[in-house]
Amino acid sequence: MDLETRNELLKLFKTKLNQAMRLYLETCTRCGVCIEACHVYASTGQVKHIAAYRSEIIRRLYKKHFKLRGKFWPSVGEAKELNDMALEELFEAAYSCTGCRRCMVFCPFGIDTQMLMSIAKLLLIGAHTEPEILTLLADTSVEKGKSIDLFKEGFLQGIKNLEKQVVKKWALEAGETAIPVDVEGADLLYVALAGAHSIIPAAAIFNAAGENWTLSFFEAVNFGAFVGDPTKTKLILDRIIKEALRLKVKEVCICECGTAYRVMKHLSGTQPFTVSSITEVHARYIREGRIKLDKSRFNQATTYHDPCQIARNAGIMEEPRFILKHLTDDFREMSPEPEYNWCCGGGGGLVALGEETLDFRMKSSRVKADQVKETGAAILATACENCHTQLDNLNDHYNMGVEVKFLSSMLADALVQDGSRRVQPI
Amino acid sequence: MQSLYYFILVPMVYFAVAVFIIGTCVRLFNIFKASPHPTTLQIYPEKKSKFLGTLLDSLLFPTIRRHKPLLWVFLMVFHIGLILLFIGHLELIWDLAIFQIIPHDPFLGKGYLGLIMAVCLLFFLFRRMLSPVKELSVPEDYYLLILLFLIVTFGSEMDWARRIYFYEELTVEDYRDYFVSLLVFKPELPDGIIFSGHAFMLVLHAFFANLFLIFFPFSQSMHSFLSLPINKLRRG
Repeated sequence: MDLETRNELLKLFKTKLNQAMRLYLETCTRCGVCIEACHVYASTGQVKHIAAYRSEIIRRLYKKHFKLRGKFWPSVGEAKELNDMALEELFEAAYSCTGCRRCMVFCPFGIDTQMLMSIAKLLLIGAHTEPEILTLLADTSVEKGKSIDLFKEGFLQGIKNLEKQVVKKWALEAGETAIPVDVEGADLLYVALAGAHSIIPAAAIFNAAGENWTLSFFEAVNFGAFVGDPTKTKLILDRIIKEALRLKVKEVCICECGTAYRVMKHLSGTQPFTVSSITEVHARYIREGRIKLDKSRFNQATTYHDPCQIARNAGIMEEPRFILKHLTDDFREMSPEPEYNWCCGGGGGLVALGEETLDFRMKSSRVKADQVKETGAAILATACENCHTQLDNLNDHYNMGVEVKFLSSMLADALVQDGSRRVQPI
Repeated sequence: MQSLYYFILVPMVYFAVAVFIIGTCVRLFNIFKASPHPTTLQIYPEKKSKFLGTLLDSLLFPTIRRHKPLLWVFLMVFHIGLILLFIGHLELIWDLAIFQIIPHDPFLGKGYLGLIMAVCLLFFLFRRMLSPVKELSVPEDYYLLILLFLIVTFGSEMDWARRIYFYEELTVEDYRDYFVSLLVFKPELPDGIIFSGHAFMLVLHAFFANLFLIFFPFSQSMHSFLSLPINKLRRG
């Protein structure tokens, strides 16, 4: 690595050094309480996957380039220079960490490994050694935000096709327009993923609840956050904020995508609309009696995987359990305390990297498979796209013998159609 | 030899305290002058009293008690010991009535507190020598533990020398005269301090304590100041 590149990378490093990051970098006592926290270490037993070990890779660079002692007495803290070998270490640390923050629950100081890994991810972007596919996906999202008119017609046509499916299955609940788009003055803007599974069941439930809703032009997933690019994360987020402001909605509801929800909830700032996860909205409909459910629809033992970014990192723990109590009489907890739930092993962009990470994802998530098996459940529900894909892969790999389902799909399948809100199906 | 004693007990003490205070302030300033993180970094479920929760997290280490109960016992004993020894040193400067709620002679613990802490430090040290904590540790972690071990060991021996082996020529009043003279910048070394049979223990105790104070702002010992604000981040 030449000097100019290193200086550029160190400038990027410096942009991450806010108060919280400095606290995380300067407080670790390497006590080892976090040893058993990481699912990758618990599954593989490799020391390099202990949270403190990962963090120390960043901390060594910090000591070398930003601390006095790293310059005068580097060996005392094993300070290390930023070079090509360090970049390789950073890659391995950052892309073997799913950012689940389970280690934060163990650490006596609450050090956030995901935050520290965001430095690694930013440096990899600066050195153009990040996973290219994630940057491409993020760029596509950004581009879509810039030139929505180019995408609009194709999107609307796609929605028309989906509407037919909504009407076919939930004819009695579909309103005048089964999937409304671009409705100014709607109460709720639903931000889905690019995929029928994220739109059709949600549409059925919104219609059944009589919600004044509209579908976003944009997909919720934030690839900028996966790749750790703060600028792209913000640009991708801003597309949705602008749309919500333009349509003057009261609530932005994020689909079953953990990262999308956490980014929207925590990064959108003070806005005239509230941000909710679809799980919260569904729980609200049940509480308010706006939807009726047929509890006999699912009569098998059911367990629920708390997606880390929705539960431990955003607080949606009670709502999915409330929903499941209305869906089954045989609900089995996976972890006595949701904040201690094992990560599925698919976060941090690992699932988005597909086949490339499949082997690692399977090996690193053995504890998750064991945890699911121990419940003896036949249905494994979750509320996150990444988790669903990863759990599906784990199901095949470890013969878990479960059916992995989206919580929203279960809810839609159990809807009692009374037709009370029927207007004119298209 | 007396010049060496003087150097360790007077100029080096001033230097160490200056480095400790200035270094700690600079390090804290550099951390807290940085802009705060724009979003919450908390962990859920949200606890009711965030401030009380943060305080308890910082003082009682509940996560360690849950996940490493044996380590927690040693850590609690060690940290309580640190507080008591701090009080003990204050008592060598002033008679503080509040500390005499349970009447006792200075110095607190009669040297046994230091012994207990030395055992804790050996536990921490040997724990660091075993995998996987070994792979997480850096030289600084060992240096600190060894320094602290030497400090408490020589500190305790001073007390034992006075109480058990009757080296009584070095009295509590001598310590007090010495400390107060340092505080008012008119350093004096009473004869008891320089000429008593176990003066070398005091000098070694002070030497290692000086090294520790100098090292403190550059080391992970700063967690004593940073524990509260960092735990606040987790509580939201």
